[in-house]
Amino acid sequence: MRKQERRAWICLVLAMVLIVGTGIFGYRFVKDGGKWASFYGNTQIFTDGYINRGTVTDRNGEELLTATPEGMAYSPDWATRVATVHAVGDPGGNIPAGAISVFRSQLIGYDLVNGTYDTTANGKKVALTIDANANREAYYALDGRTGCVGVYNWKTGEIVCMVSTPAFDPQDYIYDDEEDEDDGYAEEDEEEESIYFNNFLDGTMAPGSTFKLVTSAAVIDTMPDRDQFEFDCDGINQFGSSEDTQLVCVSPHGTVDFRGALAKSCNGAFGALTRDVGAATMREYTEKAGLTESVDVNGVLTAEGSFDFPDDNDVRLSWAGIGQAGDLVNPCAMMVYMGAIANGGTPVQPSLFKSATFIKEISGGKSLGRYIEKDTADELKSMMKNNVVETYGEENFYGMDMYAKSGTAENGSDTPDAWFVGFTGDENAPYAFVVWVKNGGYGSEVAAPIAARVINAIGPDYSDEE
Amino acid sequence: MMATEITTVFRWIFVVLAAYILLISIVSLLSTRATPEIWGYYMVEGGGNFPITHWENVIGRSKTADIMIPLATVSNNHALLIRKGEEQWVFRDLESSAGSEINGYKLDPEKRYLVETGDEIGMGGVISTVTPPSLEEARNNKYMRRLDKEPVAPWKILVAITAFQLMTIVQLVLSMGSDITAGALLSIALLSALMWAYVMFFKAMGSRGFEMEMIAFFMSTINLAITASSDPGIVVKEFIAIVLGVALMIGMCIILRDLDKTKKIKPVLIGLGILAMLINLIFGEAKFGATNWIRIGGVSLQPSELVKLAFILLGAGTLEELYEKRNTYVYAAFAFFCLACLAMMSDFGTALIFFATYLVVSFLRSGDLSRMTLTGVAALAMGLMVLKFKPYIASRFSAWGHVWEPEYMNDLGFQQTRTMSFGAGGGLLGLGAGNGSLKYVGASNTDLVFGFVMEEWGFVIAVLLVLCIATLSVFAVMSIVAGRSTFYTLLACSAATMMLVQTMLNVFGAIDLFPLTGVTFPFVSTGGTSLLTSWAMLAYFKAADMRRDASLAVSKED
Repeated sequence: MRKQERRAWICLVLAMVLIVGTGIFGYRFVKDGGKWASFYGNTQIFTDGYINRGTVTDRNGEELLTATPEGMAYSPDWATRVATVHAVGDPGGNIPAGAISVFRSQLIGYDLVNGTYDTTANGKKVALTIDANANREAYYALDGRTGCVGVYNWKTGEIVCMVSTPAFDPQDYIYDDEEDEDDGYAEEDEEEESIYFNNFLDGTMAPGSTFKLVTSAAVIDTMPDRDQFEFDCDGINQFGSSEDTQLVCVSPHGTVDFRGALAKSCNGAFGALTRDVGAATMREYTEKAGLTESVDVNGVLTAEGSFDFPDDNDVRLSWAGIGQAGDLVNPCAMMVYMGAIANGGTPVQPSLFKSATFIKEISGGKSLGRYIEKDTADELKSMMKNNVVETYGEENFYGMDMYAKSGTAENGSDTPDAWFVGFTGDENAPYAFVVWVKNGGYGSEVAAPIAARVINAIGPDYSDEE
Repeated sequence: MMATEITTVFRWIFVVLAAYILLISIVSLLSTRATPEIWGYYMVEGGGNFPITHWENVIGRSKTADIMIPLATVSNNHALLIRKGEEQWVFRDLESSAGSEINGYKLDPEKRYLVETGDEIGMGGVISTVTPPSLEEARNNKYMRRLDKEPVAPWKILVAITAFQLMTIVQLVLSMGSDITAGALLSIALLSALMWAYVMFFKAMGSRGFEMEMIAFFMSTINLAITASSDPGIVVKEFIAIVLGVALMIGMCIILRDLDKTKKIKPVLIGLGILAMLINLIFGEAKFGATNWIRIGGVSLQPSELVKLAFILLGAGTLEELYEKRNTYVYAAFAFFCLACLAMMSDFGTALIFFATYLVVSFLRSGDLSRMTLTGVAALAMGLMVLKFKPYIASRFSAWGHVWEPEYMNDLGFQQTRTMSFGAGGGLLGLGAGNGSLKYVGASNTDLVFGFVMEEWGFVIAVLLVLCIATLSVFAVMSIVAGRSTFYTLLACSAATMMLVQTMLNVFGAIDLFPLTGVTFPFVSTGGTSLLTSWAMLAYFKAADMRRDASLAVSKED
């Protein structure tokens, strides 16, 4: 009988296979359970493919979206719906960076222990960092034009305002008659004009003179004698013999020094500075400023900017140094660069998810590392203040400690794109911002008032002190 | 709102109770090992005195011989010594090269000879005798066996299962409201009563080991809860199947006590098995692709489930039978017949279970690993042929491992993705009985029952159920050291293989570790025949339980 006893190991092997297989599944269950549970086929949490539980609010608890088994309900206010649609997301899932998609598992409230079991029967609340009121102001301020406004707290990383236009009312897209479901979904012909497209996260466009802040960083670091720099601007600024070797300014600026050149946004002077700095250094500083890479916003990657600084073409190099000649920047990345200058050279990662943890509130957001040296950041900051004092007028930003740079970017059409980027330095209102208005006209005339209006609407943030 | 709060608390209690019930039972089964009984002593002249711990023993030079005589003149497997009764043994020469003799009389290798106390057995020049244990030794042995760790007392577990069952009734009422039927709730209460009656009766009869029954009653409770959630109208039928299953198990246990009786019913079982398969082939009805159902007077039956019982019994054999070629051929022929019938019914999942069991049992009988491998490869080749001619099965294979890919997730991988999605939605604790949504997917309470348990009862309980099956099997293997006859050893190992393979196919198929073949999870899947068979199969495990007075399938020490 001993033989048969010994052979029984084969049954133990089978038992092992069963246990090991179950173990493998257990590992997958822990690793992928959340993904499986939030699969749209799970009718516990999806009705007809629409998520059926959870609430999305703004930073102050204003309800932006409530999902129930009976359907989805957006804010009752039209302006709120339109102004927050790119942050909240649409029912069809066409906005990948929307909270419905990004924070799906938080809305479902999945966790390993409870699965999708819902003790409240109402789902979980996801608080976004955006301020619905600021978004509405931004939407109104954009006034029907294509553009975007992004504002974030450069200390905590919380995105307080994110508006992209054209936008749409998501309420109109809930439970459309199935036959004409395609209406509105496939209408847009050009990707840039798509209502789902978020210019702030997904767009790249010519930065115009806002890019002079990058060129300035390169100048500060590589030209110790920049204080002796002088440039005579005649408005045409011929720098070579041929016809295309000129950098026209709006009007003759006369003799400008480095600070004056930025304040007056003198193309001639910055062309000369760019040529002095050289293509290699320009490439280095553009990369260091984070403008050629994606920004990670809660797992959503922004579009990457692209720049070309040729070693053998002074004309293109000069134009590239003033934010033209095919330069493309992503607004969110530009906003982060503003955050870098504001925060002494090390920007904080932007986020749309209001973290509930006290530790995160007081320790600030996650640092993205060093973009620029502290001294360089401080000098840029001082120059940006100078811009406001000398050019934009402090009275236009009443009550704010404003640092900024405008931009007017040629886009091939008659009307240029308007930019206004910068930050406020107030202790309780540390906001870095970017405003871009397509075909808006002059940055300081069109985009600057939008920035002022939105930051006014946000007001101070006292959440640190609570 | 109140209902949600109760469920929220219940979910934790359910998991704690289940863990308590099953872990206590599992630990008791795996930690109590029987000291072998001693049936006599084998005295080799000038060689020593060996205790005989089995009814069936091989005498020989081989290291695996039960009584080892390390002499060159003795063959590796020289002879069999089989217990016939008190102080009565049967001796049979296994065509050894030197031959054997009793009291100087040269033995015919074909024949069996009675050996009594004092008879001199001669093998290759060595003389040996068989003696019964002296009274004192017998007392000693009994004393040693008394020192064995006792099986856990059933009372606390009984109370825990009863609490679990009552809470299940409350939970089902909370979650399903008027959708639940009185019959369904009553069935769970009656299961509780049956469980108490069973334990109290056999406790009074002197049985002490109830862990396996506790595990089976617990799994049956989950079965009724799942059936109540998905199809409340048939819970009563499930309960009746349990009653019949328990009765069949008891009957089989009593028959199994007597090896000679058991051997005699083998031909009857062959006849019944063939008949059942043929009836199925002729009158079978198709459900989910396989034609494995018949309907008799309003009752649906799955004959192939019942044939499993016969298949296991036919694969078993006494040590003497294992040396007879005819016995092996009969088993092989019956296996081939069953496989052919199952293939014709397109029930490939069950065919796979039969085949795997056949392979393992053949190996246990012959020890021939290479032949087993060859048979396996040949079957694989045949399987590939089948795939060629049955494209719908081949398509299942195409989805295997890819169910989450967009082209499969709502098509061939539909059942698996739903199993995993709803199952993961249950988390570790489950959503509560009756609260699941997987029940709206086809075959959720049978083929996908693992996901069903995960969703309503949680991952912890689902895994515990798998551990239960693994434990029954490991226990069977551990028990054979003290086994009386290879017959019981083979029964237990064969039943273990069948349950293990069946559980693997069910669980792994539902979660995409294996193609979905559509077989049931023993005890847990809804289906009367499957449930009845699972209970009856428990008799084979009970027959291997050699702990002192533990099992009603084992006669008291003679």
